Amino acid sequence: MTTAATTATTAGEWTPYGLTEELEGRFGDPHDAALEFSFARLGALDRAEAFPAEVCRQLDALGLPKWFVPAHLGGELRSSEELLQIIRTLGRRDFTVALAHTKTYLGAVSVWVGGTAEQAAWLAGRVMGGAVVSLALTEQSHGSDLLAGELTAERTRTGGYRLDGEKWLINNATRADLVTVLARTDPAGGARGFSLFLVDKARMTEGSWRPVPALPTHGVRGADISGIAFSGAEIPASARIGAEGAGLEIILKGFQITRTLCSAMTLGMAGQALGVAVAFAERHELYGRRLADLPQAGRTLAEAYADLLAVEAVSLVATRGIHTLTGEQSAVSAVVKYLVPTVGDQLIAGLRQVLGARAMLVADHAEGTFQKIERDHRIVGIFDGSTVVNLNYLINQFPVLVRGWRGGHTDPAGVAASARLDAPPPALDPGALTLYARSGCSVVQALPAAVGRVRDREPDSAVAAQAGRLLVLAGELHDELAAHRPSARDVPERAFALARDYTLLYAASAALHLWLENPAGRWSDTGWLEAVLTRLLRQLSGEPDLDDVDGPALDRLLPTLRRQHREGLLFSLLHCELAEAAGRPAQEGS
Amino acid sequence: MSIASTGPTAPDTVPAADIRGWLVERIAFYLECSTEEIAEDAPLVDIGLDSVYSLTLCGDVEDRFGLTVEPTMAWDHPTVGAITAHLTEELARR
Repeated sequence: MTTAATTATTAGEWTPYGLTEELEGRFGDPHDAALEFSFARLGALDRAEAFPAEVCRQLDALGLPKWFVPAHLGGELRSSEELLQIIRTLGRRDFTVALAHTKTYLGAVSVWVGGTAEQAAWLAGRVMGGAVVSLALTEQSHGSDLLAGELTAERTRTGGYRLDGEKWLINNATRADLVTVLARTDPAGGARGFSLFLVDKARMTEGSWRPVPALPTHGVRGADISGIAFSGAEIPASARIGAEGAGLEIILKGFQITRTLCSAMTLGMAGQALGVAVAFAERHELYGRRLADLPQAGRTLAEAYADLLAVEAVSLVATRGIHTLTGEQSAVSAVVKYLVPTVGDQLIAGLRQVLGARAMLVADHAEGTFQKIERDHRIVGIFDGSTVVNLNYLINQFPVLVRGWRGGHTDPAGVAASARLDAPPPALDPGALTLYARSGCSVVQALPAAVGRVRDREPDSAVAAQAGRLLVLAGELHDELAAHRPSARDVPERAFALARDYTLLYAASAALHLWLENPAGRWSDTGWLEAVLTRLLRQLSGEPDLDDVDGPALDRLLPTLRRQHREGLLFSLLHCELAEAAGRPAQEGS
Repeated sequence: MSIASTGPTAPDTVPAADIRGWLVERIAFYLECSTEEIAEDAPLVDIGLDSVYSLTLCGDVEDRFGLTVEPTMAWDHPTVGAITAHLTEELARR
């Protein structure tokens, strides 16, 4: 099935999804119920609300925690793309596993961003040794309002701190060996009233802390979503991450990385939901024809595929952007964290129509994967900053986005490096993360030049026309952003709609840059850009879908979708072999 | 460059009273209140400018004075008086 020409995995050559292919080979075919990391076993664990302990143990044994540690500290993490691939790969098999295993990166990132060299070296050793690290921000009475937190850290006479209070709804709170805790260090609170502490459970006096039991949840039913309570728990001063009062700043900078990486969760789950739907449509017959051959079902599948490719484009460019356009990530991470989970939810809901009643079966169709994904995926839009929080972040940044657009501010080298998939991006400089994107968003601001290049490359083509239309809509949108009256009091509904449109504009821009910066041979389909822009332009212009106008571009995508499914490839812009790929050794490397 | 330039102005020194007046107007605009309601020593958070929103002030400072300041300026200098003192010092230094 796989020809040498399409598999660019010759030794030493960097391929964007090389790690995915390696992991897939090691994990084995998820449809093989004999394997621990299979849809069947994980579906059963979910129904039993049981934690996937054996799979997590296997992932540790495979050395996955090395990718939670930056390379300069002895780990394997060179590019955030690697985390993107790990989370996507785990997420397509089971979101509970993805959440449980990769949470350690979320727990550790504050130290990578704001800790001392000694702390980072120490934590690197612990993580690579298999320690589970959690991040404890939220409290029962305050939800996502971090500055309302009541857990306190008071200085002791010996120079350390004493923790009192409780954190709640914390992923891995009970399993964790180490917990990064946000605590109030100034009784008056405020943006400088909170500090972060890396708490080592083994070093606290027995009885000074206790786990708070896990709560049953609608999705990720096997996950350890629990809490931790402190009562006069003494910790050394060396546990503090960054300066006293720097807690919120460090957390918000870490979010710029992790909110971007949340896109991988959607890619993994939405991709697998699409897999379930395509498999069904290829098998099920209606009126003497296969469902996939019926125009309406085929169109629904193609729409879902186009939307998946759009968010993949967003995810790739934004994730590389963590390294290459670091100072803009406060805006970009908000774009990603709003748009990608939202599109994912819609995409999954659309596929339900193809599956019909089977979408609801808990175990008797495709191991119950679809309904499980439907439940699990809803959480992505909620945690790590909800969609509303992220849109507000963007609304606050309208003035710089307008200034950046009108001034034509771009970092062309940064944009090219974000979109050109020929090598890993440079190492992340955490010092370049900032809480306000003062230069705006280069990916969007580089649109005028990109549109010119599209016209040069493919004059009089459909994509050239689409690019031109996009540029007009972008100008109109920025006029509206400029007319928005900034207010710290009331945010009108219209501002949320504008912010949403901006995220669509980012997606279309990211797709154009990817198309321009990569050789034609890299794509799994030549018509993807037209189909992706067709979908995005309709949403951006607010016009309803016009089946006979939009249909052909989408329908042309369908054979690629069906081929990727048939050949066991990732549903992707790029060529990437999953464990299911025909001719691939089933248990390579394990 | 003409005097009527609309770009950031960068005079050698800016009187503290000018900075204060500009800042009070800016904050009153965001809070949709009159400038009289902005007390110099009141924590901005207490009068309604939350800590995430106050990050946006750095963009205004850059536009008005051509001065690059940390987005967390209002966290470390949480009142009109404190920001004024900080900006006066930073502007005098360059």
